Amino acid sequence: MATDAPVEMYMDLSEVAERISQKFKSQSVEVDATFVENKLRILVDQFGVNLNEAEKTVSENIAKEHGLESAPRQTLEQREIGTLLPGEWVMIEGKVVGLSNPVSPTIKQTGVIADATGAIQFTAWARANAPLLEMGQSYRIESVVVDEYRGVPKLNFHAGTTITPLEENITFLPQVTNVADLRPGVACLRVKMVQEWEPRHERIFQTGLVGDETGTVSFTTWKGDDAPRLEVGMVYNIFYAPVGEYQGRPQVTLNGATCVPDEDAEMEVGTGGMTYQGAIVNIGPGSGVIKRCPVEGCNRVLSRMNYCPVHEMQNDFRYDLRIKGVLDDGEKAHNILMQREVVETVTGVTLEQAVETAENSPMGMDDVFYRLKDTMMGRYFTCMGNDLGDTILVRECSPVAFDKDRHTELLNLLGGEADGE
Amino acid sequence: MASEGRFNQQRYEREPARRVFAAELREATYHFKDGEDEKSPAYVLLPTGERCNRIFIIGSMTQKEKRGDQNVFYNFRVADPTGIFFVSASSYQQEAMQQVSRIEPPAFVAVVGKPNVYEAPDGRIFVSVRAESVTVVEKEMRDSWILDAAESTLKRIERFDQSADTALTQEHYPGVNLDLYRRMAYEALRQIQI
Repeated sequence: MATDAPVEMYMDLSEVAERISQKFKSQSVEVDATFVENKLRILVDQFGVNLNEAEKTVSENIAKEHGLESAPRQTLEQREIGTLLPGEWVMIEGKVVGLSNPVSPTIKQTGVIADATGAIQFTAWARANAPLLEMGQSYRIESVVVDEYRGVPKLNFHAGTTITPLEENITFLPQVTNVADLRPGVACLRVKMVQEWEPRHERIFQTGLVGDETGTVSFTTWKGDDAPRLEVGMVYNIFYAPVGEYQGRPQVTLNGATCVPDEDAEMEVGTGGMTYQGAIVNIGPGSGVIKRCPVEGCNRVLSRMNYCPVHEMQNDFRYDLRIKGVLDDGEKAHNILMQREVVETVTGVTLEQAVETAENSPMGMDDVFYRLKDTMMGRYFTCMGNDLGDTILVRECSPVAFDKDRHTELLNLLGGEADGE
Repeated sequence: MASEGRFNQQRYEREPARRVFAAELREATYHFKDGEDEKSPAYVLLPTGERCNRIFIIGSMTQKEKRGDQNVFYNFRVADPTGIFFVSASSYQQEAMQQVSRIEPPAFVAVVGKPNVYEAPDGRIFVSVRAESVTVVEKEMRDSWILDAAESTLKRIERFDQSADTALTQEHYPGVNLDLYRRMAYEALRQIQI
């Protein structure tokens, strides 16, 4: 007994009573937890029955009283992690494949537990008194609730949850998900690091875009001991990364995930993005030649006086070229961001030429800005890229040629119906 | 670990630039504000049943006139296949004004601007456009704009009964003849020479 249930010792009668009450509730039978606790107490305190047996006995008695064929099994049927749904009360066996730092003192531990069918994040609340789980160890987890937090299914360990280490570790191969198929939850990915972006918050350690053949997805790594840094151009096997949703699009968090670089791998990243067509109706400030902070990992845009909001004066800046604009299809005005390569291709102005203009023209950087405006404004373009929420990061952009087929089609649509009336 | 709340705040959404032919905009007489606030957006209601706060047009700049001494502004006309847009660029739109100063008509121009309805002392109602941006473009872009404007007009006609502004349109343009606008778009398309 002692080896079998090391965790049981921590649980008191009221927790078990609560669990029994909950189990019956899941069968639509209301049982008062205090009533259950009294029954348990008699067995345990007066008759020396161990808690496990007491739980079984009380459960079966209640089941009989309510005419149920059998008590809801103490060990609910074991479920595959990949099939769990929010609201379920389940038993699982899985292996801890990721641990991350809790974000709040009310949480004792957070992490990811997996079996061959999938993986799920878990939260152990401090007040639940659950034991600390170990990375790589397999456990049986009984009476655990599948909850949902911001669209992501999660396991919540509460007071009545029983956690037993398994003697034999479960072995299985992680299931790799295609980027195009990502849904909120936990996923293993094989992706290439495509782009690194300026962090938009001081707590962000690294943010950018990763992708595979099927598409791209943005990722965020928050500062902390568990923060891996990805290198642009490198292919990674990422194991068990939490996937959330940000403004309707999946977003991967790398804290707690295992990122293994595959130095020899090559990968062609698929576009997967959307295509938008419309007229450029605005080219905003911050477009054209800009100066970036040279401090490693900063990359912020400097003011005209070479001032970085974090690193102060930086006269050893590096130049960059970009366009922040609006592509308008008549129904919606999309904010777009074009980085250097795209700007160079679509305008025919290279960074080198732009810098030369900026340094020699009496108008300085404004000269480039107005030149880009004259080239782009009021013209139709097709932009392909990823919607980052409030801005489309444009990967390819090309001018729209006059569409003869659309002309004929519209003539038929408008003329044909008018004639018919 | 999840996204920070402050990034989820509803952001300001820019008003899209509607595509409308001159012959339709000329007929737009009803304008209103969406809200009591001084900064609430102002709209002109198009007869085909859509509000617009901003428009995008491409046509030929035919006349340009510089007015004012202290406060310089430009008035110019932009012709599309259906009629004329009256456009202005004043010192309130510095950039547009400087762009216009460099353009010699006739030229194909793309104009992004805000439509304005005003009443002349004699009671006649005029619609003009305050330019935000004016750039010279190629003829091919003008042709593409005609396609775009024709398609937008057709879409408005098709959802005339189900648009958010249906009731408003029926109130202010009772008995509007949609077939007129359909024919206008058709005629505009026919003027494209390929």
